[in-house]
Amino acid sequence: MATALPNSTATGQLDPADDLRAGDTVRVRLRTGFDRVLGYLLPLLFLVAIVPILDLLYSIGRIALPTMPLSVITSFGSYQAEDALGVTILSTFEMLGVATAIAVGLGVLGGIATAEFLSDEVAGWVRTSANLLAGMPSVIVGFFGFFALVLYLGWGAVFIAGAVTLSFFMMPYVFRTADIAFSSIPRPVREAAYGSGARPYQYILRVGLPIAIPQILTGVFLAMAIGLGETAPIILTVDPNVALPISLYSHSTYLTYLIYVGYESQPGSLPAILAFQAALLVVAIVVVLNIIVRFIAARYRKRLEGLYQ
Amino acid sequence: MSSDPPTRETGAPEPLPSPSSATSNPPPRRSAGALVGKIIPFLPALIPAAVIIAIAWTLVGATGFYNFGLGFFLPGSPSNPWGVGVEIVGSFLTAVPALLFSMLLGLGIAIASTTYLPGFLSKILDPFVDLLAGIPSVVYGIWAYLVLAPLLGTVINPWAVMHLSFIPGFAASINPPSPTTAGTGLPLAIIVLTLMALPITTLLIRDALRSIPKDLWESGLALGATRWEVMRKVGLRHGSRGIFSAVFLGFGRAIGETVAIAMVIGGGGGLPVNVYDTTNTMAAYMFGTLDSALVEPIIGKNLAELALVLLAITLAVNIAGRRLVSHLYAQEVPGL
Amino acid sequence: MGAAIAIAIILLIVGIAVGYVIYPTVNPKSSTSTSTPSLSETGSSLFYPLMTRWAANYSAATITAAATGSGTGQNSAILNLVNFGASDGYLTNASSDNVANFPAAISAQYIFYNIPGISTHLNLNGTVLADIYDGTITSWNDPMIAAANPSVTLPSDTIVPYARSDSSGDTFLFTSYVYMSTASWPYGAPSTHTFTTEDSHVTGATGNSGMVSGVEATKYSIGYIGVSYAAGAIAGGLQYAAVGDNLSISAAGGTNAANYITPTSGPTGTIAQDANLGLNQLNYATYGMAVSLILGGSWAGAVTLVAGGGGSNPTATSPNPYPLVNLEYLIIKLSPTSGTVVTGSNLAATVTFLQWAITTGNWAPGSIASDWIDQVGFLPLTAEVAGYDTQILASVSTS
Repeated sequence: MATALPNSTATGQLDPADDLRAGDTVRVRLRTGFDRVLGYLLPLLFLVAIVPILDLLYSIGRIALPTMPLSVITSFGSYQAEDALGVTILSTFEMLGVATAIAVGLGVLGGIATAEFLSDEVAGWVRTSANLLAGMPSVIVGFFGFFALVLYLGWGAVFIAGAVTLSFFMMPYVFRTADIAFSSIPRPVREAAYGSGARPYQYILRVGLPIAIPQILTGVFLAMAIGLGETAPIILTVDPNVALPISLYSHSTYLTYLIYVGYESQPGSLPAILAFQAALLVVAIVVVLNIIVRFIAARYRKRLEGLYQ
Repeated sequence: MSSDPPTRETGAPEPLPSPSSATSNPPPRRSAGALVGKIIPFLPALIPAAVIIAIAWTLVGATGFYNFGLGFFLPGSPSNPWGVGVEIVGSFLTAVPALLFSMLLGLGIAIASTTYLPGFLSKILDPFVDLLAGIPSVVYGIWAYLVLAPLLGTVINPWAVMHLSFIPGFAASINPPSPTTAGTGLPLAIIVLTLMALPITTLLIRDALRSIPKDLWESGLALGATRWEVMRKVGLRHGSRGIFSAVFLGFGRAIGETVAIAMVIGGGGGLPVNVYDTTNTMAAYMFGTLDSALVEPIIGKNLAELALVLLAITLAVNIAGRRLVSHLYAQEVPGL
Repeated sequence: MGAAIAIAIILLIVGIAVGYVIYPTVNPKSSTSTSTPSLSETGSSLFYPLMTRWAANYSAATITAAATGSGTGQNSAILNLVNFGASDGYLTNASSDNVANFPAAISAQYIFYNIPGISTHLNLNGTVLADIYDGTITSWNDPMIAAANPSVTLPSDTIVPYARSDSSGDTFLFTSYVYMSTASWPYGAPSTHTFTTEDSHVTGATGNSGMVSGVEATKYSIGYIGVSYAAGAIAGGLQYAAVGDNLSISAAGGTNAANYITPTSGPTGTIAQDANLGLNQLNYATYGMAVSLILGGSWAGAVTLVAGGGGSNPTATSPNPYPLVNLEYLIIKLSPTSGTVVTGSNLAATVTFLQWAITTGNWAPGSIASDWIDQVGFLPLTAEVAGYDTQILASVSTS
């Protein structure tokens, strides 16, 4: 378009030939006009993200909210797993609690070990493996849970099989957060601790953890949000139960199970309504968890480059 | 990158020095206890790798090493009942357009958020998009089934058939009948996948664009370029690493999506005859067919082999993505 | 900040603890959980509505039912993941898997369609259905359909066939019927395995409820749905077909209207009501309980499946029996393998329940059929079947 002036820069990124010159007002207007139009159009794309989520909340809430409190209370004592919303909520917390315990135990240990004790090269492979596990399709981990835990180990389609399978999903997130948290501890703090003669476990327990706990908590809540929303592994590894699971080997329902089982039922029938109520509960809890995570992260924002992107 | 809570992301390790234990550990003690003490801490770190290996091993065992031959990759038919070509093609037919749309939308939204919106608006609207990432896929599925499917089936698809049938693939088909008023099928699956991949791509591209040094930005504007021109010539190139990562990550997410797709894809058996048709994807098929698999063991072997194919694709996309990104960006982009 | 997190966590723990404590008072069933055995069932969605009614009215054990499809029911029973599985189809290799097929009720299958403007019962037979599902017949006003329905104005719209995409006993019944009707059925012998994957371009649905909602949502569609979901389908505007009982109807038509039978809505009454369902004079001695469809009438072109492996019962005779009638089987593991955690200790409770099922569950004292059987549109077991069941139960070892 514009011919290169003798003083144009070699990189050519911003061509000074585009400078304002008399007679170029049309081009300038076109460029600024185009820019202004984009300034109106591109933000409209936000609607593509916002409208569906609002509609989702509205459609689910419209069906779920009218009978919600009654459902939770009166559905105790019902005889269909599809109807037992109250029992399902408690069962979900129970299974999620056990899965979180396993995931946090393994994930924190692994993350700290990666940050503290591994050389950079090995740590790179370990972090890759954690990322890969986080990106696994849910049906493949569900298959693994079914073939390995339910069948091969002979546990049956019971509570513990579901909880352990869930923990496979949740563990990489806790792992990553613990790793980043410990890697982000400022060098001087670390060296001061070791310089004073601390053993590794003393450093971890007394210096590292207190600093890293908020960030690890964000990972835990994130993992809980993910575990709450998983459907395929639950359906593949656990058979439902109308009563609260009282042992590791009893059956158990889950909120997402209610959603999947009831979504095709006759509109207005109890399983269909419960599917929407379960969906509303799941979305609400996930949103709350995400807000808590955001809150904690904002308070403890660190400006270090992460090892994961 | 910012220290926002990590989501499902891949990326190469940053070429920055990270805290290494080599310089700060106390000198090693030569005793059995210390040796054990050195090995034991390593073990928890190996758990993710161990799980992945266990998954692969279980699936390989479940195939029973049965040989399905090349027919495995062809569409199933009464003469080739073990063919899963339809599912493999279906996965790509849903994931690729969804990735394309979510990349375009993500680019647009990220550019809007970083360039065109005032700061306070960005701060309010960005979390909305990130919230989309947290919605579980089964909830997307139930909403799509309840709201989007009738909309597509009764309004959008008939409109497209009436006005767009000159485009190859957009004409209605009689045998098999497509589109139907149920609204399930490829378009619904692509829409749902786009919405599910959108927050990931937006987040990655937005973070990449935000990491552009302010002086680059301001010097561009000072030279008289419009915001769009600075973004196009400077920002996108500078942030292209994040954009690349977004492509691979979004694709990995889209191709592995199970439950939402199972609920909206319609589970038909054949290759789609037009853009409205129902079909099946690898993940949805695996999820729905496991109960058959145990009734007839050969179906189980078939499914396990398909699971291995999906696992290989997922691993390849993730690993290749990270390799490519780290290879392309091994050196810092020379700044001005 | 730390205080806030600590308070939140403490509240959570306290809340769960309180919930646990007040749970027994809120849930009347949990207080007896230590003394009441807990049984689990999974499987056929056709059987599920009856199972839930039984579970609601059976107090000696807490039964959890799930509708996952007959294949899952068979399989979970064999693998001992549940106490008993429900299946619409007979399990052929029962002895090698150490399970027993236990007929528990008699059910039926309807063919529902969604054609705006048509509210009569169309006449359809196995040959026509086979052609619809394999794509030979594509529109509702096809000559073959029109020939069987001369008085109906059929639309020219394309038929959208629905089939089950999960492993389904309803698929087994439907494919049994079409397989026995015509040699041109391309999808092989009857099985619970879905045929939607074999390049058939039939739309898939999960479970009977998925079939109902799918056919309701799709105009000009057709699907096979169990009788226990018929009320919901009819309320949703669907209509069911009169199914042909003559397997040798030629392609040129020439059908006799009397050969198309609508299923009766089984009122309680005498055994004579069974006449319409072909249950008179069933020859169990020769064919045992291994029947897929309880068909009646003369079957000129009938294909006999493997004896004892499931098939028709051609000696059943009665005027105009509805063809899609089947026995509902509960699959129970006979000698649980050691190390199982579900069935072993509850085998006695399972046996007690099964005895209840074939008596009170099927036959309320003093009447012919109980309300529950009636509510789902089933028929109670005949005396011969009940006797056969009692024999099975007597042979189950409870040690």
